[in-house]
Amino acid sequence: MGLRILSEKERQKNIDDNESNLIAQLQGVSKKFKSTKNESLHDINLEVYQEDFLSILGSSGCGKTTILKMMCGLIKSTAGKINWPTSNFQNSSENPANLSFVFQEPNLLPWMNVYDNIKLPLKIYKENSYKADENIYDIIKLVGLEGFEEYYPRQLSGGMSMRVSIARALVTQPKVLLMDEPFSALDETRRFDLSQEILKIKKEKKLTVVYVTHSIYESVFLSNRIYVMQSNPGKIFEEFDFSNQEKPEDYRFTPQFFEQTKIVSDSLKRAQNAE
Amino acid sequence: MPNNKIHSVLVIVILFLAWEISFHLLNLKWYLLPPPSMILDSIFNNAHLLFLSLLTTLKIAIVALILSVIVSTSFSIVFYFSKFIERSLTPITVILQVTPIIAIAPLISIWVDSSEIATLICAFLVAFFPLLANTIAGFKSTEKKHLELLRLYGANKYQILRFVVIPNALPYFLSGLKISSGLALIGAIVGEFVIGPISGHSGLAYRIIESGYQLDIPKMFGAVFLISLSGIMLFNLVRLISYLILRKWHSSYQQVD
Repeated sequence: MGLRILSEKERQKNIDDNESNLIAQLQGVSKKFKSTKNESLHDINLEVYQEDFLSILGSSGCGKTTILKMMCGLIKSTAGKINWPTSNFQNSSENPANLSFVFQEPNLLPWMNVYDNIKLPLKIYKENSYKADENIYDIIKLVGLEGFEEYYPRQLSGGMSMRVSIARALVTQPKVLLMDEPFSALDETRRFDLSQEILKIKKEKKLTVVYVTHSIYESVFLSNRIYVMQSNPGKIFEEFDFSNQEKPEDYRFTPQFFEQTKIVSDSLKRAQNAE
Repeated sequence: MPNNKIHSVLVIVILFLAWEISFHLLNLKWYLLPPPSMILDSIFNNAHLLFLSLLTTLKIAIVALILSVIVSTSFSIVFYFSKFIERSLTPITVILQVTPIIAIAPLISIWVDSSEIATLICAFLVAFFPLLANTIAGFKSTEKKHLELLRLYGANKYQILRFVVIPNALPYFLSGLKISSGLALIGAIVGEFVIGPISGHSGLAYRIIESGYQLDIPKMFGAVFLISLSGIMLFNLVRLISYLILRKWHSSYQQVD
């Protein structure tokens, strides 16, 4: 079975069938910022299942990033709630390392070298007496940064900086990785390479990924589920599920990929027309 | 870079040469504008006296600078933790800044017995404010994305201060220090002018006054030269410190290749 749009009924069925796998559920979440007149997000309902690669796809300014920031507690919602059925995936003071966040830009601290930037979360945890494994060199190897430990951010290219940023997110050994358009500033080849690596790492570490993007190709290539958003106010427009589909090695060049890209692209267009 | 330095040295050398030559050509009076050769001569003749005065003035300027560093960083940190204290104290620091030091100096000399300490207070008051203003600006320029990052990992206010706020403020602090290094010297000179000779061994400001009384104009110029020289030294010292701290990561020291 390929990609399909989920109706409300199917969505409910999905929730019931996969209840044990549900790790986060946003229910009627809305957000209004003080500085704006209208709601930025309106009545967001979405589910994250274990080991999902979930993409939230939408044009710029539709509130995708806000959803992520609410999930990791950086922003509070004005209405609705986020359910975490078990406490194993939510960040809390007892366990601050369940969720990790990869920012839109690398967001490295320029005064620390690569090694210290990656180590920073562990340093903070340690001082706050939360035990975390020191696995910095494993992570450095995993993202291909060997030999760059002593480099300062200004000496790194965009792609390298992003690797450091990903390494910093992974060093805490999170179960859920929230990614906010992490590759949008990179050129096509780097983007693809890093996407592939993320898929590999996700598989290896059994991560759940929530991925915010405005790239249709990226979302179809990477994810098993896609939420298409419309903006003003930000709302979920349609939901796609292709969990049951095996993606072949060269998926990016198959007719199937193009077909599915078209379906999602049409959906995004309809979402924009619906505003 | 070395090319630039050669240029600036060359310009100074040419200026001095022009000065020397025009003195002889135009038959200027030495007691109005002595030529550089005469000034140098005077510096050597009065070497011991002037050198000790230089030390006195430099000591006051440097101690004032160190004091301003300590006070302004502690103020900034206190302000970081308490908006209330910041709001309460900021007007006072501004009042101290806008009141000319020449106007307060006589008061200080009445309150404080030691002329050395009175001069030190003058130098400190002049040097302190730019450093404080810059450091506070640095504290406040912390980037939101960095704060979010730290909050994501549950960092407390003290950790945010250490890992993000202070390093981010360093370039601001150091450029404030450059301004203050010059001002500390100015404060030390102006203070001595108003307050009178520093006990122990008087500073360069008093040498200027003294030379005026003695109509020893070359010595007066000599003292002025030494003041400029020590200003340049102080400034370069701060520049060196700044380079050592920032060269690795800050964009102002980007290697060009």
